[in-house]
Amino acid sequence: MIASVAFRNFKALRETSLVLAPFNLVIGPNGSGKTSLIQAIGQLRGLSRLPLREPVSDADRRPEAAEITFRFHPPFDGLEASLSCVSEAVCDFLQVTPLPRGEGVDDWAGLRARLLSMRSYRFDHEGIASTSALKDGGELAEDGANLAAVLAVLKKEHPQEFARLKAELLRIQPEYDEINLVERADHTVELGLRLAGSDDVVPADGLAQGTLYLMAILALAFDPAPPAIVCIEEIDRGIHPRRLREIRDLLYRLSYPASTGETRDPVQVITTTHSPYLLDLFRDHPEEVVITEKHGRTAHFTRLSDRADLSSLLENGSLGDLWFSGILGGVPDE
Amino acid sequence: MMKLAVLSESPADEAAIAILMEAVLGGHFKHVHPGLRARGWPSVEQVLPSIIRHLHFNTDADGLVVVVDSDDSVVHTAAHDAPGYFHPQCRMCRLRAVFRQTAKKFPPAHGRSRVLRGVGIAVPAVEAWYLCGLEEQVSEAAWAEGLATGRLPYTRAQLKFRVYGTDRPNLQLETQRAVEEVRRHRHDLRRLENDFPSFAALARDIRSWKKNS
Repeated sequence: MIASVAFRNFKALRETSLVLAPFNLVIGPNGSGKTSLIQAIGQLRGLSRLPLREPVSDADRRPEAAEITFRFHPPFDGLEASLSCVSEAVCDFLQVTPLPRGEGVDDWAGLRARLLSMRSYRFDHEGIASTSALKDGGELAEDGANLAAVLAVLKKEHPQEFARLKAELLRIQPEYDEINLVERADHTVELGLRLAGSDDVVPADGLAQGTLYLMAILALAFDPAPPAIVCIEEIDRGIHPRRLREIRDLLYRLSYPASTGETRDPVQVITTTHSPYLLDLFRDHPEEVVITEKHGRTAHFTRLSDRADLSSLLENGSLGDLWFSGILGGVPDE
Repeated sequence: MMKLAVLSESPADEAAIAILMEAVLGGHFKHVHPGLRARGWPSVEQVLPSIIRHLHFNTDADGLVVVVDSDDSVVHTAAHDAPGYFHPQCRMCRLRAVFRQTAKKFPPAHGRSRVLRGVGIAVPAVEAWYLCGLEEQVSEAAWAEGLATGRLPYTRAQLKFRVYGTDRPNLQLETQRAVEEVRRHRHDLRRLENDFPSFAALARDIRSWKKNS
């Protein structure tokens, strides 16, 4: 979907660019641009709703102004989208420019539709556990607060997908044997999980935070019409290190649908983590790992696969340990 | 019934190793402390002394089976088995040394002097074992020759793709395929032992437990 993004004067991202893969795990210290990357994509989505800005000549550009430039994969690689920003953090105009080569030069409408389906998530366990109105059960909210309604709608309208989601949840958490969704008279839905071998239901607000986050990720992974781009902050939050493999598998299900026999379009995934254990799982795919580095007030991106000596480094340390040691970069200044 | 523990990198590996160990032992074993995990090399080597210590003093396990991938490391050969020989780049030699050095300090516990050693190295990855008998060109000798000549016959990603149909299998698929493939060998391990001497070394370790028990 998004092939690359180039930043100029956007927060700590003063002059850097990043080629995006179908799946991107972003690691780095606090304040190094992980969230800024996701915010930039969110601003692209937000400004896609509005009328485009008339083309601005190079002479009219303010060199100190923040600007973010996106390029896309086919069938939209003939278009470039640039966000012009009024401050270091807030962009107010979107300009779309045809490129000399590539497809989709006249298909801003098609690209726009894809960009509008982009979603950014920062799950909140209290929100996920809350009762939600059935009418809100379309797509998962950015904090996951309508999960109960999303699951209720999925169960009604896509029972096969719901059954697969449930099977996966119960495989990962065998202490439960049923997802309990209770519709109340006021058209709200309550979520709970039934303890295996009993009639006892643990209400959502009694479930572990990690279980709630897992259920939100499952709802995304089994969404029959997922967004074109999914950004998730701190994907490892609340998840036991041994469960991170399942989390990675669920995200791969989105990005590489063919790997699980799915026929839908791939979802581009951009997610952040501070977990060396999650990073360990990308030993065979270093091209999926983005390292953000911050020196002073300036941050930039590198790809782990750009390290020519990576395979020899891995002889003597796991990826997570190598990251913590500092030799891969992406660690705080001390 | 033998009581043994298995240290592996994933539930998929553990399931496959358990089937292979039953095949070697010719019957069921009691699985002590299921779910022992290491995060790949070199974490296995780092965590192994503590696991041996735990099993020795806190359980009645007869032995511990450890299986790791060789990746691009030196392949174990018969020459490494010479008395006193140790190859610092061979994972078999290194893991055996960890067993030796760790156990020699321990007093007897639970009626035995030490937790018995079972070390297997999957060359270059456990998926090669799964392809044994299906793809003639996949063998430990082929990989060792590739390392020597600098022309590897296949990559680990290619092995994964051949076994799972993708190089990004989920855990369920990985477990299902692992179990399917090792079940082919459970009644006759000769082909696996012939094509993968580093599996044969593990089988010899386990058979020696039976003789000594």
